[in-house]
Amino acid sequence: MRCCSSAALIRYSKHQFRDVMGSAGTEVGSCLRTLSTSRDSAEIMHALRTLTRNLEDGEFTRPHYTHAIQVLLSAHWFSRWCEDEEIKKLWDEMFLKGPPDQTLLLLLDTISSTGESAGLVRCASVLEKFLSAGRLQVLLWSRCEVGGACSDSPQLRETVIGHLAALPSITCNHLHANTPDAFLPQQYYPLLAASILDTLQKTCHALRAGQDCSLGFVAQVLGKVCIQGYSSQIFETLAPRLSSLTCVDPLWQRVTQRLLEKVPERCTECVITGLMRSLSGAAAVSRLMGNLVVTNKKAQFVLTHKLLLQQYQHPTPLLKSVLGYLALNLERRTLLKQVLRSVCQVWCNSSAVKHTSVEQQLYVSKVLLLCVALLHHSEIQELRHEMLQCMLGGVQCRLDSNIERIRRMGMVVGECLSQKLDTPGSQLKFQYEPDEEIRELKSLMESPSVEDDEQHQPDTSTSLQAESKAEGSAGQSAESEAGRGSDSELDSDDDLTPYDMSADQEKKKSAPPHYVRDCLEALMSSDDAERVELSLQVAEALLRKNVKATQEVSVQFSKVLLHLEDRYNTPHFHMLRQNAMVALTVTDVKPVVDYWTTEFYSLNFNLRQRLDILEVLALSAQELSEPITNKHTGAQPISAVTPQEQCDDITHWRQIVEKRIQSKTRRISKGGTQSVKAVPNRYAPVAGFFFFPLLRSYDRPQVTFDLLGSDHLVLGRLLHTLGLLMHLAINAPVVSQMGRALLDFVWTVRFHTDQMVRRGVMFAVCSVFLSMPAENLLTELGDDLMETRAWLADVAENDCDADCRSLAVQSLMLLDKNLKTQLKIPDMET
Amino acid sequence: MSRAPPDPLFILRGSGSAVNSLSFCCGGDGPPFLYSGSGKGAIHLWNLTTRRAERVLESHAGSSVIWLQSFKDSRSRLISQGRDMRLCVWDLSEDRSAVTDSLLTASVGFCQCSLLETRPGAALLAHPTEHMEEVRVVEMRSWTPVCTLKPDLKLGMLMCMKMWQADSGPVLCAGYEDGSLVLWDVSHRRPYSCLKAHPEPVMCLDVDVCKQKGISGSSEKILQSWTLDKQQNLQMHDSVQMTNPGVSQLCIRADGKILATAGWDNNIRVFGWKKLKPLAVLQHHTDMVNSVAFSDHQDPPQRLLAAGSKDQRISVWSIYSES
Repeated sequence: MRCCSSAALIRYSKHQFRDVMGSAGTEVGSCLRTLSTSRDSAEIMHALRTLTRNLEDGEFTRPHYTHAIQVLLSAHWFSRWCEDEEIKKLWDEMFLKGPPDQTLLLLLDTISSTGESAGLVRCASVLEKFLSAGRLQVLLWSRCEVGGACSDSPQLRETVIGHLAALPSITCNHLHANTPDAFLPQQYYPLLAASILDTLQKTCHALRAGQDCSLGFVAQVLGKVCIQGYSSQIFETLAPRLSSLTCVDPLWQRVTQRLLEKVPERCTECVITGLMRSLSGAAAVSRLMGNLVVTNKKAQFVLTHKLLLQQYQHPTPLLKSVLGYLALNLERRTLLKQVLRSVCQVWCNSSAVKHTSVEQQLYVSKVLLLCVALLHHSEIQELRHEMLQCMLGGVQCRLDSNIERIRRMGMVVGECLSQKLDTPGSQLKFQYEPDEEIRELKSLMESPSVEDDEQHQPDTSTSLQAESKAEGSAGQSAESEAGRGSDSELDSDDDLTPYDMSADQEKKKSAPPHYVRDCLEALMSSDDAERVELSLQVAEALLRKNVKATQEVSVQFSKVLLHLEDRYNTPHFHMLRQNAMVALTVTDVKPVVDYWTTEFYSLNFNLRQRLDILEVLALSAQELSEPITNKHTGAQPISAVTPQEQCDDITHWRQIVEKRIQSKTRRISKGGTQSVKAVPNRYAPVAGFFFFPLLRSYDRPQVTFDLLGSDHLVLGRLLHTLGLLMHLAINAPVVSQMGRALLDFVWTVRFHTDQMVRRGVMFAVCSVFLSMPAENLLTELGDDLMETRAWLADVAENDCDADCRSLAVQSLMLLDKNLKTQLKIPDMET
Repeated sequence: MSRAPPDPLFILRGSGSAVNSLSFCCGGDGPPFLYSGSGKGAIHLWNLTTRRAERVLESHAGSSVIWLQSFKDSRSRLISQGRDMRLCVWDLSEDRSAVTDSLLTASVGFCQCSLLETRPGAALLAHPTEHMEEVRVVEMRSWTPVCTLKPDLKLGMLMCMKMWQADSGPVLCAGYEDGSLVLWDVSHRRPYSCLKAHPEPVMCLDVDVCKQKGISGSSEKILQSWTLDKQQNLQMHDSVQMTNPGVSQLCIRADGKILATAGWDNNIRVFGWKKLKPLAVLQHHTDMVNSVAFSDHQDPPQRLLAAGSKDQRISVWSIYSES
């Protein structure tokens, strides 16, 4: 479109030119003829001189200038005479002294219409000079003066703006790698910003002088640049300067506010976002924007809704300045209250908790806390009802979530709100481990300063430094004093250095049990905290050491451990109990696994116990699937024990020969003789015992346990565990059946609303694709293949949970890999 | 990183029952000896050079030996106290092992006697009597009673005591069941002063005569040290906390540098004597340590620490002996 309009524009100028040619411009006409045809340097020089003399004359410039420079650019003689200083000077003058808009348009059009040639290079260099000579300022300022260039047609105006904003793209499209640095966005936009600043400066002067100015053109340029995505480059230069200038001069404030008002509506969002990103501090925002948010509907929408509730990529300082800006002025405070109301609504919406990503929820929580922190006590009383509703609803639906981060977020925000709403006695209080995120959220509640950061930063930082220095020195002196004190003590005391006394522990009263049955007894019936602790500590080792004894009581022991509660606050209780449970499972696989899998679906267990069962199954399967790396078995001379099965002649004969060779061989090096010995996978034969019973009765809800209903936490873990069990069974014969069963199971719950469950589903799918042999996988999937792909692609694109998305991408890749290997084999065969 | 605590120099096994009491005999000619009294009435004479029991004396009719002490002036004599309420004096010269003298104390308690050799050939002995709270001091040679010391206040059973020679005459410090310490002027048969050092019974005490400072242990976690001023008044001085409660015996090394305790928690603890700075926890025994003793080697680097435990073993350590 730009091309089209500029072509029309040029045609328009040519037309005018022809009109004038007949009457007044005969002199100019002859000059131009000379320039386009002559080969004589003196003639050319003369013609150029005549033209440059006319540059100041409006009669010439308006109708003839474009044609004149067009002729100059297309003239063939320049390459021959370019050595001539005089001609070069006059030539440059023609471009740099004429009307800047026409020059810019023509140069850019020439660049975009000519192919690679000397002319193109010439154009580029002229344009470079044009930029460095500050012609942009002239151009911008010419549009600011009232009556200066108002006679422009809207198309021309639009074209000039478009060319100004897109200069880097236009030039780069045609110059490719030869683009001069000055045209690159990193250099051009700061230059443009500087020109805008200069223009604004001139506007200020003009206004002081009582002259009217129009900022519409500059605002349009600014808007255009921002909408093209270069807001950060342009505001990097613009925002800090404006911030400091508006600080000292109220006129600047007015000018800037006017400029922002004049930005076209469709560009408002980009301009405001870019400005907010580059400004620091609410006060600066307030100076630059004035009451724009009240007067301009679009700006209001962007600032109070879009930035806060629809987007979530902005950094916290931006939020602080947006909300601080709203809080600074009485008119805007009503908006702040509005914001709080809408944020409250969003925050307590349980569907939003389920369907938006954690990052966005964190963002909204930040907005909420910042809002609340900015409100005065009286305003909070006014909004008390809304806030209370928000707090109760929001905290509740967050505590229901399966994702710890969301739960914690709910707790922190709940605490913070309750701190503002309630009397000190009746405030909410939760227990959680504070991490970085929580500290950040809490810090938002500390009374935010709406003061200008820029101005106060230096003071505070210096004072802080001084303080910290003082503190440091004080600390040092205190330390050194203490050091001296201890030194003096040392002087007076013995020169005897103490030994390490870390082994000096509180003595236990009772001895740890030595037998499996004693241990079981103690765990079952003891009211003695110490005895229980000791038993728990030795349980794992005892169980692993005494295999026979363990097998006798394995199921009973499992029952006791499963029902064992941490009554005495034993240190590392969960780890010890879990280790013991794993030891049991590994030592006596079938009965114990049977027990676990039946108990998983039975009555009267709490969620924790069911989750424990799943964890134990997964850990045991993992241990079983790993080769035994016990040092004892490694060091045992296996050849010394001749297995009964190997008594047939061949092996016997081989062994004898082997022995003879061994005895006759002298080994120079002892290293490297140990080779990795293949051991049977202990998990493969029993994988089915672990896996299938867990799939047996998931759809039979019980009074206390409804897997497909409210107990989705367990469902998520179950899927995850099944995935693990599946993956650990890789290369086992049973893996195909397992994969089929797991895919069937997963298919029923794939659209679960809970993120944890969906994560589990994705994990299970991944592990199926990873573990199942490719040919079996494809036959299993069969007709569902395309549907599975579509589902995975949809999850990969649209799921609100980042983990789900990445897992979906992973499984898609695995599926494709399987497909590829599978499809290649027939190709090779044929 | 502080260095790891040392291992025992050697272990003496074979006492056959709990080791209750230890006494070194390293002075004079001949190999150094360690005497130990066991819970079944056997007194072992350990040769520290060969590390073997050279002789075993069957004594006290099989009753537990609760205390024994060798005499400084003659290597061949030994005094032992048993649960059969008797004190025996042994003659060990020329491979003899004969009881030359004995005294019926009639005490049924566990309080150990205290021996004070006033001059060569003469010694005073403080021993508990049939009255639980009473101390009797006798002249060794003739068993002539010198005095009987009995507190006026009700302090409970006599638990432990130590007698030494002060400028004004023999002084005896006794610990009682209610945690009090009483300092007795033996010549005038009256108490100098009394100090309630512990809330629990005083289990053991030792006094550094040079520094006029002593220390006592109890069944709790605290060791309490106290000083004696010019008027022989007992005053609280310092205390140190241990990890586990209960001390059976305390011993200050003759050079006044370190202090060793026999703990009920199977550990031997070593402290600096000046500031009670904890220096080491020696872990070897698997049962209560009943007794500790420092050897009386003349040569400092040879000085040893021995500990006897209920687990029937005696561990011998060389610790802080280089300086």
